[in-house]
Amino acid sequence: MRKRRGKTIVNIILWVIVAIVTVWMLFPFYWAVITSIKKPADVFRLSFIPGVQFDPTLDNWKSEFQLRGKEITRAMGNSLAIGIGAAFIALGVGTLAGYGLARFRYHGWSNKSISMWILSQRFLPPAATVIPFFLIFKNIGLIDNVIALILVNATFTIPFAVLILRDAFKELPEEIEESALVDGCSRFQAFFRMALPLAAPALVSAGIICFSFAWNEFLFAFIMSYSKAAPMTVIIAGTQDTQGIQFWYVATRMLLAIVPPAVLALTVQKYIVRGLTFGAVKG
Amino acid sequence: MGVKKKKTPLKEQGKKWFIAPAITWLLLFTLAPLIYTVYLSFHGSRFLKVTRFVGIKNFVTVLTDYRFWGAFRVTIIFVLGGLVLSVGLGLLFALLFNRQIRGVQVFRTLSTMPLFTAPVALGYIFMIIFYENGGPINNFLTMVISKQVPWLSNPSWAVFSVLIADTWQWTPFAFLVLLASLQAVPKDLYEAASLESASSWNIFKHITFPLISPAMGTVIILRIVEAFKVFDLPFALTNGGPGLATRTLTFNVYTNGLRDQNLGTASATAIVLLVIVLIVSILFFKRYGSNYE
Repeated sequence: MRKRRGKTIVNIILWVIVAIVTVWMLFPFYWAVITSIKKPADVFRLSFIPGVQFDPTLDNWKSEFQLRGKEITRAMGNSLAIGIGAAFIALGVGTLAGYGLARFRYHGWSNKSISMWILSQRFLPPAATVIPFFLIFKNIGLIDNVIALILVNATFTIPFAVLILRDAFKELPEEIEESALVDGCSRFQAFFRMALPLAAPALVSAGIICFSFAWNEFLFAFIMSYSKAAPMTVIIAGTQDTQGIQFWYVATRMLLAIVPPAVLALTVQKYIVRGLTFGAVKG
Repeated sequence: MGVKKKKTPLKEQGKKWFIAPAITWLLLFTLAPLIYTVYLSFHGSRFLKVTRFVGIKNFVTVLTDYRFWGAFRVTIIFVLGGLVLSVGLGLLFALLFNRQIRGVQVFRTLSTMPLFTAPVALGYIFMIIFYENGGPINNFLTMVISKQVPWLSNPSWAVFSVLIADTWQWTPFAFLVLLASLQAVPKDLYEAASLESASSWNIFKHITFPLISPAMGTVIILRIVEAFKVFDLPFALTNGGPGLATRTLTFNVYTNGLRDQNLGTASATAIVLLVIVLIVSILFFKRYGSNYE
């Protein structure tokens, strides 16, 4: 009996901690949301509850879309194109390599060194390659072009795709593919028709992770695009200079930039830990 | 190695074509630009054009520049501060929540959101939160203790503000990974230990910690490597300021090379940063490389 009561108390304390941490975690999102629905006069006053402490309004959203609607639509389009394009390439290259590393033993370069070589991409500071990329793309006329940003972001996200899919293929039984080989399929057909459909959940999750990282990338986008190809991260970076402390607009734009990857992230729970640790820790 | 069980021999035809695209891609888009950076770091430049070989002059310029050492200091503060705060808090929460209570699942799910928030957007949101005249924190402080904190205008506070934003973003990473590794610890180990009436500290020290230490190593290294890359967050939150107070090494590469168009010294800065990260990574792979097999 006493033990049980002790347990209840522990649980209550834990609950309080969970509540505090949840508030801390959601506060920036919440604050951005309520700032975006406050009248300018209310923004610099401490108030939390719309309808009670201040009158919510959609005016900021409306005028944001009236004044800069075109620019934002284009930026959203660019971000989507960069995210999808990069994820598509990363998955294309990554599923092949992931399958290869899961099913074959390589000689000369061992499987481990190949994995490390691919992983080392993530260890490389982007600053170490940003200047050459800028110069090369400038010379071939790809500055302010979405294609350039798709290519660099594919490069950054390939390691996620390779290592997530390598583990996914490792967990699939080999027998199905073997019997396909016996039936006269080529190795590639066995991979494409048998293994790939079974790895679909991992494929989708890896795609979402690649998409999100490409969507959120800032340094390269900032340096290699200024108008036509500028994605959301670049558009929001101009906010401060043009709008001073009009935080109600800053907030609307930040939310537009944050929401797609943050919501997609909620769908990849199963792969998040192994994805972000490149398979070192299985979630 | 060694004790791998022998698999049924598979047809290995064309196996190189599976990894060729990935390897080629990374050679082309990672190694080639990297070699170009090394080349640039030994050359002079004018108006984004390479002029002539200058030996180690760029490196001497960089390493005798107070701005480099300022950025070096800031970067190290972010690496160590970010590491201690996010991994420390992450471990604490992981230990607390490694049990069956309602709400933890929701909490886990929510905690993926900070990780997928664009750091540049996060920087601007924290700019609103830390805003000194009318931001929520200072308004609150005025109300409670009638004092305000110069979050963004004082150099030391600005560094701390960036660290807070960074910790907000990265604590969930440490939390999720460490929680996953804690949940993989077999339950009967704990049962056996509590039968022997070991103290909870001893259980942690002798059972939990050794079992989660590979995951811990992974969290630490990935955290360190990401912290060395920091640029977006101070760019948005403080624009590197006040003065040079929150400029990181990556920030210097950007201002030096792409704003002031000094390709040589920017590349030299990038190479120094790369060498630091390389040393850290090699130490890591020696110790924890087998996690990735």
